[in-house]
Amino acid sequence: MSKIAYINNRPFAIKEGETMLSFLKRNYGEKKVPTLCDAPNLEPFGSCRVCSVDVALQPGGKTKAMASCHSPIFENAYIFPDSENIQKLRKNIIELVLTDHPLDCLTCEVSGNCELQDVAASVGMREVRYPEGENHQHYQKDFSHPYMTSDLTKCINCYRCIRACDEVQGEFVLNMAGRGFDSKIIKSFDDNFMDSDCVSCGACSQACPTSAISDVFESKSIVAQSEKTRTICTYCGVGCNLEVSTKNGQILSIQAPYDAIANGGHTCLKGRYAFKFYNHPDRLRTPLIKRNSEFVPATWDEVYDFIADKLTQLKTDFGPDSIAGISSARTPNEENYLMQKFMRAVIGTNNIDCCARVCHSPTALGMQRAFGTGAATNSIEDLNYTDCIFVIGANPTDAHPVTGAKIKQRMMKGVTSIIVDPRRIELAKYATYHLQLRPGTNVALLNMMLYFIITEDVMDKDFVAKRTEGFEEFKAEILKLDIDELAQITGVDKDLVREASLAYANANAAMEFHGLGVTEHSQGTFTVQLIADLAMITGNIGKKGSGMNPLRGQNNVQGAADMGAQPHQGAGYLDVTNPEINARYNSFYNAKVPSHIGYKIPEMFNAAISGDLKALWIIGEDVVQTDPNTQKVMKAMDSLELLIVQEIFMTETAKHATVILPGASFLEKSGTFTNGERRIQRVQKVVEPIEGSKPDGEIIVDIMNRMGYPQPAYTPEGMLEEISGIVPFFMGATWENLGDNGLQWPVFEGGKDTPMLHITEFKRGLGKFTFKNWRESAEVEAHGKDYPYIITTNRELEHYNCGTMTRRTGNVDILTEDVLLIHPKDAADNFIEDGQMVCVESPRGKVDIKAFITDEVRPGVLSSTFHFPEIMLNNITSDVHDSEAMCPEYKVVVCRIRKSKGKFKAMANS
Amino acid sequence: MSKNLSELSGRKGIVDNLFEKMGQAAKETGAPSKKDLDDLAKEFLMGKANTFGTTSFYDFMKPENKGKKAYVCNGSACLCAGTQDAVKQTLETALKADEIGHMTCLGRCHENGAFHYDGKNYSAKNADEILAILNKTEQPDLDQYHVVASKAVLTLPYEGFEKHYAPFRDALKQPPTEVLNEIKESEIRGRGGAGFAMGFKLEAAAKEKSDTKFIICNADEGDPGAFSDRYILEQRPHSLLFGVMMAGYAIGAEWGIVYIRAEYPESVEIVQNAIDELRANKYLGKNILNSNFNFDLKIIQAQGAYICGEETALINSIEGQRPEVRTRPPYPTTMGLFNKPTVVNNVETLAAVHYIVKNSGKNHRELGTEKSSGTKLISLDSFVKKPGIYEVEMGTPLSEVIYEMAGGFTQPMKALHIGGPLGGIVPISKIKELTIDFESFAKHGFLLGHASVVCIPESMPMINYLEHLFDFAAFESCGKCFPCRLGTKRAHELLRKSATTDYKISRELFTDLMDTLRQGSLCAHGGGIPLPAKNALEYFGEELNKHFEN
Repeated sequence: MSKIAYINNRPFAIKEGETMLSFLKRNYGEKKVPTLCDAPNLEPFGSCRVCSVDVALQPGGKTKAMASCHSPIFENAYIFPDSENIQKLRKNIIELVLTDHPLDCLTCEVSGNCELQDVAASVGMREVRYPEGENHQHYQKDFSHPYMTSDLTKCINCYRCIRACDEVQGEFVLNMAGRGFDSKIIKSFDDNFMDSDCVSCGACSQACPTSAISDVFESKSIVAQSEKTRTICTYCGVGCNLEVSTKNGQILSIQAPYDAIANGGHTCLKGRYAFKFYNHPDRLRTPLIKRNSEFVPATWDEVYDFIADKLTQLKTDFGPDSIAGISSARTPNEENYLMQKFMRAVIGTNNIDCCARVCHSPTALGMQRAFGTGAATNSIEDLNYTDCIFVIGANPTDAHPVTGAKIKQRMMKGVTSIIVDPRRIELAKYATYHLQLRPGTNVALLNMMLYFIITEDVMDKDFVAKRTEGFEEFKAEILKLDIDELAQITGVDKDLVREASLAYANANAAMEFHGLGVTEHSQGTFTVQLIADLAMITGNIGKKGSGMNPLRGQNNVQGAADMGAQPHQGAGYLDVTNPEINARYNSFYNAKVPSHIGYKIPEMFNAAISGDLKALWIIGEDVVQTDPNTQKVMKAMDSLELLIVQEIFMTETAKHATVILPGASFLEKSGTFTNGERRIQRVQKVVEPIEGSKPDGEIIVDIMNRMGYPQPAYTPEGMLEEISGIVPFFMGATWENLGDNGLQWPVFEGGKDTPMLHITEFKRGLGKFTFKNWRESAEVEAHGKDYPYIITTNRELEHYNCGTMTRRTGNVDILTEDVLLIHPKDAADNFIEDGQMVCVESPRGKVDIKAFITDEVRPGVLSSTFHFPEIMLNNITSDVHDSEAMCPEYKVVVCRIRKSKGKFKAMANS
Repeated sequence: MSKNLSELSGRKGIVDNLFEKMGQAAKETGAPSKKDLDDLAKEFLMGKANTFGTTSFYDFMKPENKGKKAYVCNGSACLCAGTQDAVKQTLETALKADEIGHMTCLGRCHENGAFHYDGKNYSAKNADEILAILNKTEQPDLDQYHVVASKAVLTLPYEGFEKHYAPFRDALKQPPTEVLNEIKESEIRGRGGAGFAMGFKLEAAAKEKSDTKFIICNADEGDPGAFSDRYILEQRPHSLLFGVMMAGYAIGAEWGIVYIRAEYPESVEIVQNAIDELRANKYLGKNILNSNFNFDLKIIQAQGAYICGEETALINSIEGQRPEVRTRPPYPTTMGLFNKPTVVNNVETLAAVHYIVKNSGKNHRELGTEKSSGTKLISLDSFVKKPGIYEVEMGTPLSEVIYEMAGGFTQPMKALHIGGPLGGIVPISKIKELTIDFESFAKHGFLLGHASVVCIPESMPMINYLEHLFDFAAFESCGKCFPCRLGTKRAHELLRKSATTDYKISRELFTDLMDTLRQGSLCAHGGGIPLPAKNALEYFGEELNKHFEN
């Protein structure tokens, strides 16, 4: 029998541990009890007191007013949520609030969507009886920031913004200062937003019940009077759900829905605010064909004919393998599927790849080798169940801000944590262990961890015996290692590594996250395999709060690979060389699909330069700015007979194109994105594509048809149906059953999905242990002597990849340029002062970057970003690649530094 | 009440304490520099807004405090004595006006004329004396007050270190549950004001499984009119420390923290000396007296905020958070300091543990009344013939204390304000009906509280006294909950307006406001302040009528 409590003398069952407010919400009505300081994603706080209810211990007993938001419900409580006494109490509280609040509702930004207004109306507020007293209506508004605004005359001191900044984002930018009647919201040292340490996530603005903290889009006002569309963010792989408000076909603002599993009412400044690129004047609005080195506008028909004729001619003259495609991880699954289908079924080549090549291809390959599936084993939600967080080669608070914030929250609460990173990243400050290794020594460090786990006898023997293979051989190799030598290689104290290893192994459930600091190395795939070893040897697979969880960089990089935008596996990761599978593809596509592996992206560049590759179709990928060794990439682009670039802006790559196709942004089309935890989510068209552009899927279908392949017109439902017919793990996915929060693949018939993989057995049967020894990068071996520093590349919160989109939003006013992180010692040794231009020279070339002196990096290690084309950092990066997956080694680039001679000059593009 | 901030502050344990460091940074100039606040924020992995927000809360760290040299007491007793205008005027002849702040209250209610200068408290009888203090030509004697007991428990003479700690040594030979049982059996209730059973709190914390627990002594005796805790801190420090150590032993805590208000600088020094003495005798540290009991003591000096007497605000204060009141549950015994199980007890409560452990809980239980066991200290101000500290068994008639033991009043009184600012205003005619215990006061619509007594002379208009009370309540409100932050302010404005102009307060509005404060406030600060107003309207209605609409 469940316990009972009473609302207005009617009995209802209570849930263990719930508050009176949630009890009332469940049984009496979601909105029946007014609240002001309560918010769906914040802990109960108890400041406003308008949620007070009368409570008696027995029928007809003496009542006492209690704040329902933080009072636990108890058995046989008699609750009177709107007794006369309570109604009066609420009204009197609101009256007090209004003694220090402007009565200018009609002209207020949030009129119609103001919680104070709603509560005042619901309690029947008619007059303020107090004589005029002291107030805070003299506070100045703050319009200092590109996004955030504040008007503290509207503040009711509910602390929701402060709590959002603390409990959701974990940034502590906001607080109250002073006390009592004069207490007031401050940003940092009572600065304005721009001068404060604000990271512009907007959690405070969304949390504010009035317009005291808002944003330049007046998001809250807009929500009240506009249409809303739920879609998925286009930036990182977290897959934040966004609620986009539109009016008359214009996007007004974006909020984060509270019921979204992926982001729970939170998102970052990219997702929430960096959307104004979508109708930026720079958008491409017509197809362009380069004639006599000039881009000339063309009609769609012209450009389609041009492309179809040229591709047909090249295919006839040089064979299908003279043509290649690079699909876009920024576009939906359906468009990726179409692009690879076009290459395979229409052109007849496996020369199809995507940007996963330059980011997580080693993850996919390494995890496939170890487990059989190249995707995250667990869900982000598992953070709530883990007792050890292990982050290697990832900086989630900048690159995956919502997941980063969740990790940070857990770390602040004291969950044991290990950070392996050459930089003292934000999370490292909160970590139990920070193993600050030399870039390029991940394999050595992981081997040390594995060594200690074996020698200290803290492994999960049962798991290893029942679920894995290859352990004995692996163990024998590990035990041969010289730990002191490895400690010297990594530059990390062996005792510290030992302690961290024990912490990981002894946790009930240890959860691993990694990013490009693992993959973008010459030993990237091996590193992934060793991380898998670490997870298996400690039994951290197949249970809640554990697993191996790559943080996927682009919004749909998981999906792009899932859909077969890679040269060795078709849609659904099926081996193109396998005759049986080949036959299945042939019959499904009703076309002959080749059975030999195609070019990976770096091979495409080499083939272009050597003349074997004649045509390349690139969708939404700026390889010139983002791929390593810029000069070489440009040479490859210029060697092609036909370069088709399908883009939303004139990128560095597009400048080299023969034909430019104006595609559509994520806000202008429908489909699905698959986030880093395998969650297939619905992208829904918010506005029509800007005039002159077309959704990318439609463009591909048009060209397929133009080249004689009967592909039906693009609809998200129809495409998903086709995909579910060939991709095994999409079998049960339909547009309808994906719902608001999507489904995690594999999705079985009927729609049952999979939050966790490998629970009882691995996809490949037994998990495979593999030993790999550390090897110095060829880059360091060849040039280390002459180029004594290592520069490693990273990302900044404000910008995304090469900045094509974020540089066309207010974000560019927050972070204006790439900088070079340099340790004070290295700066001093080279007579470099903070803010001075530094010439960074590698064997490939040199760039000038502004110095930012910080001890976040260790001596000998530099770090920078490639968000801005003014710097073109990839002029200096090398084309050393991962030995297995050909992912470029962006993370280890040798260089030398000196103070720039002249004033700042960008590396010429010629 | 940020759980994150509690954790982050707690990462450094109690030894390396954020709040203490803030205080140190403020010491020189009266407020920490931005550089200090930035460094502390980085050290403790918080935001600048956290360190700035916290320090801006406290009278002795807020930016406005920079450059203050002297502080004049503006507590209720000094107000009623009418001594403070003269003190301030004299100080202004030697110091700039903005170098003079105020403190509430210095616990010199028995002498008045109280002010604080250069880290010490004084009660000046005349201008010459004040100037002599400022010029450092004369150091006055320590303050003097009577200490009278009809039943001595807390005022028993100190017998010297060895003898005093004999019961402690014996107790360590027993399991902690024995000490806990004695305390439970004593049925002692908290002396801080709320009267909550001490044994219950200790037992709740003892049951919690945690590698770290804390016992905190609340020595933030902020009630104007009260100086009984100061008496114990300065005259019986070892009684207090004995209690803290025994309570720590009972719950399995390894740290005892004595949180002493900044307004009592001498108390800090005296208690620190007593701790040093314990340490010198190896009564602190690991494996004390080979008992396996590990325990240490630390003083945290407050920085001027009345609300810190509320236990959850006090915990936030030690953590270096803004001392705003937390919601309960979770109770501190489950999730207190640094989110660890914590018991907070008042000075007088802890000091009684010596008697309990020495003489048994049962012996203590036999003192006092059925529901209020033991004895109680009472602070009497300068309007009685023998101002000072009185110890009586619970249940002793109030009239006996006032008229017999203290010799009655020096001039005609209209009322006694008993139990601090949130206590009731007892008209002189009611004195004979009250006995010193929780139940008697509650039954008559008053509050025993901490049993401080401020005498309100006939010459003091009740409207002015109420205005003073609400001025204090508004000034000391933490500002977290809406009713208290706004309500105390508006009440003060109404009272001031009606006291200084012909404005008449609407009775309906005032009643609504008092009801809102009483029912709606998060803690006893806003919830308690209507009580004296209600008493005043009930017993001094005729006098107050002209200030209210009919």
